[in-house]
Parts: sequence; C-alpha cells; structure tokens
Amino acid sequence: MGYEFIEGNEAIARGAMRAGCDFFASYPITPASSILHYMNDFVPEAGGLVIQAEDEIASLGFCIAAAMAGRKVLTSTSGPGMSLYSENIGLAIMGETPLVIVNIQRQGPATGSATKGAEGDIQFTRWVTSGGLPIIALSPATVEEAYELTFIAFNFAEKYRTPLFLLTSKDLGVTKDSANLDLVKLPPRFDRKKLPPGQKEYLPHYFEKPEDVPLISDFGGDYIARYTTSMHDKAGYLTANPAVIQEMIDHLTAKIESAIDDITLVKEDFQEGADTLVVSYGVISRSAAVAIEEARAKGRKISSLVLQTLWPVPEKAIRDAMKGIKKVVVPEMNMGQYLIEIEKLAPPDAKVIGVCKMNTTLVTPGEIIEKGGLL
Amino acid sequence: MSSNEDQIMEKEETGNTKKPGYSAKDYKSPLKPIWCPGCGDFAVLNALQQSFAKLRLPRHKVAVISGIGCSSRIPGYLSTYGFNSLHGRAIPLAIGVKLANPDNTVVVAGGDGDLFSIGAGHMPHVARKNINLTVLAMDNRIYGLTKGQMSPTTPLDTYTSTTAYGSYDPPVNMVKYVLAYGAGFVARAFSGNLPLLTSLIMQGIEYKGFAFIQVLSPCVTYRGKAEYDSIRENSEVLPDTYDPTDHKSACEIGDIEDKQYLGLIYRNDNLIPYEDRIIEMRKHAQKGKVIPVGELINLYRT
Repeated sequence: MGYEFIEGNEAIARGAMRAGCDFFASYPITPASSILHYMNDFVPEAGGLVIQAEDEIASLGFCIAAAMAGRKVLTSTSGPGMSLYSENIGLAIMGETPLVIVNIQRQGPATGSATKGAEGDIQFTRWVTSGGLPIIALSPATVEEAYELTFIAFNFAEKYRTPLFLLTSKDLGVTKDSANLDLVKLPPRFDRKKLPPGQKEYLPHYFEKPEDVPLISDFGGDYIARYTTSMHDKAGYLTANPAVIQEMIDHLTAKIESAIDDITLVKEDFQEGADTLVVSYGVISRSAAVAIEEARAKGRKISSLVLQTLWPVPEKAIRDAMKGIKKVVVPEMNMGQYLIEIEKLAPPDAKVIGVCKMNTTLVTPGEIIEKGGLL
Repeated sequence: MSSNEDQIMEKEETGNTKKPGYSAKDYKSPLKPIWCPGCGDFAVLNALQQSFAKLRLPRHKVAVISGIGCSSRIPGYLSTYGFNSLHGRAIPLAIGVKLANPDNTVVVAGGDGDLFSIGAGHMPHVARKNINLTVLAMDNRIYGLTKGQMSPTTPLDTYTSTTAYGSYDPPVNMVKYVLAYGAGFVARAFSGNLPLLTSLIMQGIEYKGFAFIQVLSPCVTYRGKAEYDSIRENSEVLPDTYDPTDHKSACEIGDIEDKQYLGLIYRNDNLIPYEDRIIEMRKHAQKGKVIPVGELINLYRT
C-alpha cells in the first residue's frame, strides 16, 4: 500500500486482521467506535463475524465464548466501556481465554470531558477486575506501533492463553498520520497450541509447572470441555479445596509473571554520561522525544526509555535504564499513575519527577522541559 | 477428522445394540447435584438428558451455558460442553459459542433472577436477533442460592428475606415479555410434568431460531413444598385445539396471569435465524463491494 494517511484505530484494525482475527464484537463508544467501523468492513470480507452488541457486557461475553470456540478475537472500547468489561475480564482470566481488548482511553472519570484525550486508565487496567491477578498490557505511540503491537498482542494472548490489553488514547486512535504499514517488521504469527487428537480427555487447565500454559481445545471441537467462573481444578470442575485453589492462583500468576522477559518491549535511547532519564509511554513519548532532542541540542545529556509493555512492569529494563541516573522524569496524561511504579524502582538517591496533567490536552515538549528541568 | 464421539456414534449405529446412539445416562457427568431434595431443577436436568438422548445429539455437539444461581449449576452435571459463567451473562456467552460454531446445539439454562433481573438486558436482543439457541428459564420465583430474597417473578405480597412486609414489586410475566421481544418459539413447562417438559425442550432444540421455555421449577426450601400443589392448581395444559401459530392467541395466553397455561404457546416457522442471515451477508462481502464509477460520482454529487 505504501505510505497512507491513516488513524491509529485503522492501524489497530489492520493489525488484528494481519494476526488472523476472525471475530469482533463491540458496542459504540467514542473514540473507539471507528475500530468497529473498520472491522465491519474487514472481517466479513475475510470470512469472519462482526457483531454490534447491546452493551459492553454482551460484547465481551460474545468475544470470550467465540475465543473459546476457536476464533481469534478482538474487542474495543473506551473508559466507561472498560468499567462494564470488568466482570467479563475476570471470566477471561479464569477461563484462560486468549483475546485482545483495546482501550482507546478518553478523559474520565465517568463520561469525563467527552470525548477528549487522557491516559487515565493505566492503573485501572492493571487492577481491572476482582482478585488482582496480573495482566499483560501494551501501549503504542504511533500509527505503525498501533499496527505492530496489535499483532503482537494477539501473539501474546495466544501464547499465554490470556486476555491481552492494548492501551492507547483518543489522541492516537482518531488522529491521522502518515504511515507505511508494509515497512513494519512483524514477528512470526503465533497461534494457540491445541491438544493433539487421540488423547484420552481434555483438561482445560492442565499444567505441570505453575508457569505452564495449558493446551487448548476448542468448544465444539474434539474433546468435551467445561469452564466455570468459580475456582476449579485442572479438569475445570468447581472446587472448594484450598490447596487446589492456591495451586490454580499460583498458576494464573506465574504464567504471566514468568513471561516478563518475552513480553518486555521497550525502546532505549541512552546517552553516555547522562544523569537524567525520561521514562515515557504512549502518545506522550512523542512529546518526550521532541523535548529530549531540544535539550540535547543545547548540550544536555539525557537518556530516554519508552515503554511499550506497561504490565507487568518491565522492572529489569527500567532498573537497567536508571543505573547512574540522578533524575527521572515521567510525563503522563494522568495524575501520576505510572510514576508510582517508577518511584518503587528508582535508586534511593535519584529524584523522580512527574509531569502530570489530565486537562484533555497533550503534555507538550515545553512542559516536559520546564517541569522536568531538562534545561 | 472424525472425533472420538463420532466414532462412538458410528460404532453404536453399526453394532448390534438395542438403542442406537446415546441413552440419557450418557449425558451425566461424574458430579452429583447438590440441589436440595425436592428441587424442581432435578426434573430439568433429567428432561435435558432425555432430550439429548432422544434427539441423538453427540455430546461434543452440545454446549450448555449458564450464569450463576442454583439452576446455573446444571452444566457441571452434564457431560456435554459446559460453561458456568457469570451472573446474568449466560446469553452473551451462548451467542458467542453459537456464532463461532453454528454446528453446536446451544442451550442456555438460567433462573428467574439470572435471566430476568441482572441479565434481563440481553433478552430482548437475543430474541429479536433470532439466534438459534434454546433458553430454559428455570423459574422458582425466588433467589435460592443467595438464600431466599425476592426475585423478579416473586408474586406480590410474598414474605421473603428482603421483603419483611411482603413484596411490593409486581412480578415479571416472562411469556408476555419474550412474545413482545419477537421470539419465534415460546413455551411454558412445569418440573412436575416431565413428559411435557422433555417434549418442549426437544421441540425447542429442533426449532430453527430462538426458543424460549419458561420452566416452573419449584424451590421447596424457600417457597415451601406447597409450591408444587399450588402450581398444579393454578396451571393447565393447553388444549389440543389451541393453535400456537397464531400470535394474537399467544399474546392472550401470555396476558392471563391467574392461570399458567402449559405447553407450546407460540411458534413461528417463518423467521430466518441470525446465523443464516450472517452467512448470506458474508457471501456478499466476500464477493467484494465493487461500486461502479457512475454510482460513485453520484454519491459525491448528493
């Protein structure tokens, strides 16, 4: 296709199609709706299904069941819709369901300043449902990354049998930019590992080591499968046995936490002798890049770490980047939600400064330079 | 690839067995139901197993989806695909299972609270979309699992654990609601009449579209043993002369609240199931949407 003028939401839809998505359900909500529009164009043509649901609870319900029946599934929403997704996200974690959930964040709480930008759902995504088990969330900064990370999100969802979150904001989702998706390098496509034919039975949650990802068998496939949202044993039968319950909780935790090296995606731009580091993510990393360039042009030594993986926290990459650093600047379109994660990891003698606002406007390079003291 | 289950079917068909295919007990899971003795849900489980066997449905072609509640435990007691999902959310999940794989026979089992209180928002849409699945609304007129609170079908003036002075919420009339939502198959059954219940479940499964069956399924623990007698006194099987294809008569039956008519209340075989419409749409989409240049220019003129 060459260079095109496209918005982040279209890149997300195309990334999903490239990953083999063949089921999409969603409920209209600005600024995520255009993903529903694009998928409505793309998916039936490719032989899949698109459904506009009666509400977000239903749309994620359709998606979870379709994923368990063998489909590769995407859904998209924004903050208020994420609130309604909460209960079904718990179900997807419990059922070890591979699917991708896109949150095109808008300013909140509630209806907020509908429908302007913010990235206020960062911690909400981490703690989105009861139980507090870990989740994986990726955050793109550009149209190309929206395409790339959607594809990768599908890979991770399939590989780890888990709901995967793609977090971006209105500012990327519905802003057109010049992009050439053909030039985006993608890893090989990964599809869920299925239980081979000829086995005696299917244990939907089978693992030997806690971090093992159970093989999957499609609903309506060769083996009878059952799922429950209650605590269950490896066969999927409800259990009240504390030892079995703890074993299952340890498995759901270890499966994600032990994947950290594989799922850590960061962009490092370190400068020899720098004592200042800017840690950023999402669309604000582009403001940060301009600020850093400006400061460097005036002779300041500054390193940059851009996080594409937000959850689980890529602790090693962050710690490595902070070696010898005296000042860490964290610009965000919220009131410091990732700042607290950086503070936990910063060296004791380093000063951590948040450049935070949530007034619907982007954090500008000027604000990062001024509040972060980059000059 | 033929599955293990298909092979069982083939073997039984070609073998010298008395009953080809499955028997009701083949659909039992190793779990024993933990319902209270006398619970109406035992009859629903029994009727489901018999229906699957009589229809000779391979176990791997059946998915039973439930929400949360006493009735929603049912998938655990069956050896079919099962999903004991979230409170009120059986219908969305059932839709996902059906649309992802339309070959599946999909049955939703839920209670009055699950389907008509917390999950009520999904009912109009699954009915009007006419998705080919069978909903069993196991109506015990109380919240059983959470211990005796008023449900959406609890009769007026009932004392429950949340209505110390008698319930003041007028109850939901399930049949009337789903008829209004455009359902093409509407029936009412009773746990105390197993042959009728089984027959209606079989008809519902065979019906090509959305089938809704209200099952009066007494909760003896929170509504008392007298519930069976009271249903027997206040219900009547529809006469043979009743014509279920007449929507007006069905609405009249739905309107009657002092007597619960049992049987097939409404059946419309002229509705197109959602899956069929989707398949048509997809064929169209796959042919490509080529718009002639002339039309394109006209589009921009307007």
